[in-house]
Amino acid sequence: MEEFKRNNINILLEKTPSTPRYALNLFFKLNKKEKYCGINSLLARLLLQGTKKYSAAQLALEFENECIDISTKAKQDYIKLSLVFLNEDFKKATELTKELILNSTFDDFEKEVYKIKGEIISDLDNPKLKLSDAFIKNLFKNHPYSSCHTKILDDIDKITKQDIIDAHKDMLNSQKAIVLVGDYNNKNEILDYFEKEFDFMKDGHEKNEIKDIFKNDIEKDEYIWLTKNDASQAQIIQGWIVESFNSSMCAKIAVLNNILGSSGLSSRLFVNLRDKQGLAYTVRSQYETLLHSAIFSMYIGTAPKNIQKSLQGFQIELEKLANEKISEKELKGARENISGRLKYFTQNNSQIASIQGYNYIMGLGLNYNQLFLDDINNVTSIDVNDIAKKLLSMPKLVTIIAPDEYKTDF
Amino acid sequence: MANIIKKEEIIYPYLEKPLSVYTFDNGHKAVLAYKKSPLINISSWVKTGSLNENSKNNGVSHFVEHLLFKGTTKYPAGVFDRTMEENGGIINAATWKDYTFYYINIPKNHYKIALEMHADMIVDALFPKEEIGPEFDPDGEAPKEKRERYVVIEEIRMGEDNNWRKVYKNLNSIMYEKHPYKREVIGTKEIIANISQEEISKYYKTFYTPSNITTIAVGEFDEDEMIKLIQENFKFKDNSNIEKCKTDDQTPEYKIKNPKTTVDFADINTGYLMMGALCDSAKNLKETIALDLLSTILGDGKSSRLYSNLIENVDNPYYYQIESCHYQFKDGDNFFIEANFDAKKRDTVVKELKQHLDNLSNITDEELKKAKKRAKVNFAQESELVGDIADAIGYWTTVCNDISLAHKYLSTLEEIDCKYLEQIAKKYLSSNLVSTSLLLPKGEE
Repeated sequence: MEEFKRNNINILLEKTPSTPRYALNLFFKLNKKEKYCGINSLLARLLLQGTKKYSAAQLALEFENECIDISTKAKQDYIKLSLVFLNEDFKKATELTKELILNSTFDDFEKEVYKIKGEIISDLDNPKLKLSDAFIKNLFKNHPYSSCHTKILDDIDKITKQDIIDAHKDMLNSQKAIVLVGDYNNKNEILDYFEKEFDFMKDGHEKNEIKDIFKNDIEKDEYIWLTKNDASQAQIIQGWIVESFNSSMCAKIAVLNNILGSSGLSSRLFVNLRDKQGLAYTVRSQYETLLHSAIFSMYIGTAPKNIQKSLQGFQIELEKLANEKISEKELKGARENISGRLKYFTQNNSQIASIQGYNYIMGLGLNYNQLFLDDINNVTSIDVNDIAKKLLSMPKLVTIIAPDEYKTDF
Repeated sequence: MANIIKKEEIIYPYLEKPLSVYTFDNGHKAVLAYKKSPLINISSWVKTGSLNENSKNNGVSHFVEHLLFKGTTKYPAGVFDRTMEENGGIINAATWKDYTFYYINIPKNHYKIALEMHADMIVDALFPKEEIGPEFDPDGEAPKEKRERYVVIEEIRMGEDNNWRKVYKNLNSIMYEKHPYKREVIGTKEIIANISQEEISKYYKTFYTPSNITTIAVGEFDEDEMIKLIQENFKFKDNSNIEKCKTDDQTPEYKIKNPKTTVDFADINTGYLMMGALCDSAKNLKETIALDLLSTILGDGKSSRLYSNLIENVDNPYYYQIESCHYQFKDGDNFFIEANFDAKKRDTVVKELKQHLDNLSNITDEELKKAKKRAKVNFAQESELVGDIADAIGYWTTVCNDISLAHKYLSTLEEIDCKYLEQIAKKYLSSNLVSTSLLLPKGEE
């Protein structure tokens, strides 16, 4: 992928020959704490709900008549517009994108608030989603990263249309990037086009109002119990706030995560808790990096009577990682697995645009994937031991959803 | 080693080169597809699933899928998983009504070991008793050694907590009179807890035969080398003299004979609905395409009829999610509407959705044009990832038993007009031909 700066617009291009569809991503970095939880999510949705020229229904027709797939998403650190469309529809897709970024009216504000509330209530019917909602809320407490379904429900009626207009202004003043991946003929034509037609994508001023955090605010182990009396399974997430990609710990945590529970069917959690003990169908660990923080967690869905046994299993596997030497074979396997997974998740134009755009807007650079793999190659057994020891020494947050009859003192 | 008796080239939309389709003298087939990619996808598709089960062994196809990862003569349990993953591979398998398939996505420099171990797993599964675990009473005390039976039982439990899965299970059971499709693919806890190793092995030997399997490789590789590796490594055993599993009556049901409604309750806040119709076989290409188009028009995207009429153009919508979908099967397709809504509106919801089905007799040229473009773009989309290409080839070879239909899809699509769509809608999707499944919050009785 190549990086260009035209008239203060960041443009990233990658040519992928013989692909019939372009992927276009527009990234807007978020640097402010939301006044109320849900403002950015609402803004992202309202971008598709009508402009000066088109009603929401007309806009949907304009996109879908040409099979231009568009989605807007507000994540913790950025808002992203993602489009995928046939090469022949480049002009139509980019014109519509410009229209909705510059001319959204937000007139459907009240209706969208009503819809979000309904969708959240519906989403919370899903026990797994309810569990992760409680986990995030309690892990990040008052930090902006604690924004989740239930917090949005608490705040959404306080949000006004003016709040959305203000958030939209912030979005247009933010740091931005255009990412295009596909089979274009002439690079300069594409660059000229964006320079002329997308001047609203000029880079804004970086004003970071969110303080860096990577420490657990949790002082001692916390257990959050959510009741679901008709649940067949208990679901558990145990986790910590850890260092993110801006730390030298990142590659070490990534290798530990891979060995413990994210390599697939051969991870230690999978083999020891699922294959050998039959405790679960799904058991895994996860390392999710954000700009100012990261989450390391373990998840299991198990028979409710196995809650204690599963928590013990998590503890035993972490202790083994802390106290036993990791063989060179296992380390090498983890490196290869991480590298293979990166290839797997950067196969098509849409995936490349998304991952490279994310790396760029987070300030990691377009060479980050290779640098990360280089760091991974330097991780040793002692590094993994040290990370595991650190996790064991930190207070953990455990959230559980299960029938009340299985509740015990922890 | 099996000999090649036929090689065909089949043009496949959006791929740079035609597919190479090989048939071996034992009936085994291999399809090789070229796609520039750092990964190679290798998969084998077995023409068996819950279609070939009965009330006593329901779930065995899926259980066999799990157990194929549990060791062969050459590689004990765990070696395949570990070897693939430490070479950067992503592996898994899936079971559905008509098929079971096993796949590996692996960086291309490691494809030889992947192919060798994949073939070994398909032809020489041992089903070790210690990996299956002892038989037990699921309502009684759990055995000390739980192993794979318990993993599948946990998967069943996981499904029981999924609201959509509950609605689908209930609907599926009332749509059919007798056909094996009416059963859940995953089976029941009781059957999984009690099925013997002998029954599992017999099922495997009955259905994992060369003529029932298609092996697919997609990516950048030397074709001659790949086909030679397939020939050399798929050393099928001769199970022709074993006692075969008996299957249920598989007479296709192309229309619901007695449309019914089922209602269930759970600790939830909103209502869930699936409305379903039975249609002709996926092999009936023109009708299958028509159903794809009808699904797009009715319920795919924000400009679809269901979304625009029931959410986008309503001030206070009581639907939170609404869409339609079309599932293709060998013995008859399914067409569904899925809705998540304010449970207090249940009667209105059922009425409105039935009205939308009956209104499908009025398709506009604009709707047809949009749906046709979506159908073409779906092909482009399916050609982007080696795994998606393999899945599509697996579908055409297994469910339709005819890979050339993929090439005929786009020309057949052009033959379809509004009048034909209206005929198909009337034939299969009239409101008096659908069954309905509702899941409501407790207290909404």
